[in-house]
Amino acid sequence: MESQTDNIIDIKGMTFSRSGRVIFDNIDLSIPRGRVTAIMGPSGTGKTTLLKLIGGQLPPDKGQILLDGENIPSLSRTELFIARERMGMLFQSGALFTDMSVFENVAFPIQVHTDLPADMIRDIVLMKLQAVGLRGAQHLMPSELSGGMARRVALARAIALDPDIVMYDEPFTGQDPIAMGVLVNLIRRLNQALGHTSIIVSHDIKETLGIADYVYVVADGRVVAQGSPEDLAGVDSDKVRQFMQGLPDGPVPFHYPAPDYLQELLQDIR
Amino acid sequence: MLDWVQSLGRVGLARLAAFGRAGQLLVQALVARPDPVMMFPLLVKQLYFVGVLSLIIIVVSGGFIGMVLGLQGYTILVDYGSEQAVGQMVALSLVRELAPVVTALLFAGRAGSALTAEIGLMKATEQLASLEMIGVDPLRRVIAPRFWAGFISMPILTMIFSVVGIWGGAIVAVEWLGIFDGSFWANMQQAVDFRDDVLNGVIKSIVFGFVVTWIAVFEGYDCTPTSLGISQATTRTVVFSSLAVLGLDFILTALMFGEL
Repeated sequence: MESQTDNIIDIKGMTFSRSGRVIFDNIDLSIPRGRVTAIMGPSGTGKTTLLKLIGGQLPPDKGQILLDGENIPSLSRTELFIARERMGMLFQSGALFTDMSVFENVAFPIQVHTDLPADMIRDIVLMKLQAVGLRGAQHLMPSELSGGMARRVALARAIALDPDIVMYDEPFTGQDPIAMGVLVNLIRRLNQALGHTSIIVSHDIKETLGIADYVYVVADGRVVAQGSPEDLAGVDSDKVRQFMQGLPDGPVPFHYPAPDYLQELLQDIR
Repeated sequence: MLDWVQSLGRVGLARLAAFGRAGQLLVQALVARPDPVMMFPLLVKQLYFVGVLSLIIIVVSGGFIGMVLGLQGYTILVDYGSEQAVGQMVALSLVRELAPVVTALLFAGRAGSALTAEIGLMKATEQLASLEMIGVDPLRRVIAPRFWAGFISMPILTMIFSVVGIWGGAIVAVEWLGIFDGSFWANMQQAVDFRDDVLNGVIKSIVFGFVVTWIAVFEGYDCTPTSLGISQATTRTVVFSSLAVLGLDFILTALMFGEL
């Protein structure tokens, strides 16, 4: 039996670039089994891309992404789809199937991957919807849901097959304070109850640090800090401090690289 | 001048790469691992959206085109005292050319654009990515049923177009202009050959169905997942499909009737 402290995912020497821009430069990163791991960092540092790399939706330029020792990028298309049955992903937009009701959305992965009878699938779906507090909304269509509700339905769908890993892509973005609190509690509670591994990609510092066991801070294609939320408070790095304290300018510049402001304004006058 | 050649080369290479990706999509979606059990209910649903919902525009257009053919044919042929031949003129024009071509053009505008926009929006709203993460291949779940639905619908819609068109021509020629119905239908029966005319028309429609639906699903799947990207992909579907249909029609006509 595997110990509770080993890693379910090991990323080794991974480099990924897009349109000539290096997003990850030879990074090493491990996701401990059964824990909540947060990947944090400023916008545009490739946090969502990292989830796509783990899910095999994007291939890295080099390096390994090991899921229990199995290198995701080297899997065949069929093996990859089998590996994905162990993963659940909560997309930033929810990504519910718009032609299916809430019930059908949650039932979909179970129908596709199991031979369970309809009444058993119904019971599982109702249990998942009950867990996210939306059993009463089972007959609604995605267009009838608020953003927060859609994300909770998507969460129910992501955990429908009781996956080993659940990946959350910016789960708190655009949520009102009530929905945010509900989601934070849900992610923590589900992690404890179901015993799966959670990976949260977010830049909502307070909420994420509140539920994470281990945190990676990613910037400029590298891991600039890692540790427990308590460890990070004491990290001696301007970049980490700027991010954690939400300072507008610092090592991570507020302005996108541009020519001199005054010269550009005066260009027309000349 | 050099810039112009460069940009021409760039566009050419991009088109060639897109053509390669389209071929890859077709092979992966249709040939690699067919799953008829999963696909059948999805296919029925798509046949409704792609085929049944296109019926109105096909029936109305077929009727009017047949009526116009009847009227024009009569006004030309009556000068030569050959107005009895209106039936064969209407039928031959429809089954050989107008039904396959006009149905394909209308299909590209109605169903092709809808397919591209739907698949493009599924991509933009991460529904395709979500399917992949659930462990379901979107090529088999989303692309394959839509492709087969278009491929099956087009010949049927073309035949319906022909039948309604001939009926429209008969209404104008026989009921309105007073051509003797016996000679209208007998001339048509005598002139229209099943293999040379009807079957060739059906073959054309099968080719058009394949090409139009392929372009539509590929453009949706390959589009940039933004509002602009989807609108451009939808436009490309209609433009490329129409050009492909008209170009292929000439090639097929030359192959089928060229030796006459």
